[in-house]
Amino acid sequence: MKQKLLLAVSMLALALQATPAAAQSPADLNDLQIAHVAYVADNIDIRYAHLALAISENPAIHEFARTMIRDHTAVNEQALALLKKLNAQPQDNFLSKQLTANSEKLVDEMSQLRGAAFDKRYAENELAYHKAVNDLVSNAFIPNIENAEVKSLFEAGLKIFKAHEHHAEMMVKAVSK
Amino acid sequence: MSRRLFIKKVAAAIAAAAFPAHPFAFPGSAVADTRTHRVEISGFRFTPDRLDVSVGDTITWINRDIAPHTATASEGGWDTGELVKDAQASITVTADMETSYFCAFHPMMKAQLSITAADQ
Ligand SMILES: [Cu+2]
Repeated sequence: MKQKLLLAVSMLALALQATPAAAQSPADLNDLQIAHVAYVADNIDIRYAHLALAISENPAIHEFARTMIRDHTAVNEQALALLKKLNAQPQDNFLSKQLTANSEKLVDEMSQLRGAAFDKRYAENELAYHKAVNDLVSNAFIPNIENAEVKSLFEAGLKIFKAHEHHAEMMVKAVSK
Repeated sequence: MSRRLFIKKVAAAIAAAAFPAHPFAFPGSAVADTRTHRVEISGFRFTPDRLDVSVGDTITWINRDIAPHTATASEGGWDTGELVKDAQASITVTADMETSYFCAFHPMMKAQLSITAADQ
């Protein structure tokens, strides 16, 4: 009796998951969609960094922005090399689109700011952005990635982005003085 | 010459023969005493982050992270320059070199050298 009930419950759970609609939760994305999100997320941070180099006059912000460009570019190169080796193409998806749309709004907003106001907004956004991406990578992506090599690249990436989060925390403190 | 002075002179001569005062005069013998130390950079850490070295030793930093790093003296006195993944760079220890260093790209990465003079 108990077993039958368990079976019924798990079949119901399966039925709920297997909706024909495209994935709408980050945890439902496949490896190639996850790879696409990561690539988009890297490029968004590189774009913010270029904005900072163009607008900010603070040398510490410039150093930080250059580190973001250097590290996210290095991660993207590794990701592209791995995809090539696996002969796979990243797949666009709802989350990549959502991240891009949000970043465009933020770039518009930050482009209007100058001086200390820009530095503060940029540093705070870097902290918030790396926090959000790290949550996504550790809770939704890494537990669900199937390919072992892709998984280990994300684990290495997470270490980098956690260092960036910590670095961004220092930047927020420095520009809020 | 007093007996005591004579003993002092002999002792000094023996010491001079055993420990040449000018280390640069015999590069071959200097190399034999020096060591090469390896510092691995991985997971945004220098390992070891405290290293005992002697003047004349070589320190080699090797980066195992995807992210490029540097080993840079805190006041900028010496610098490996950018080390991409699997790249390495070496620096020879001098008596007056700075002992605190960090990664110029990730300033929260810090480490320390402890230098002892050679030929003691
Ligand atoms: Cu570094």
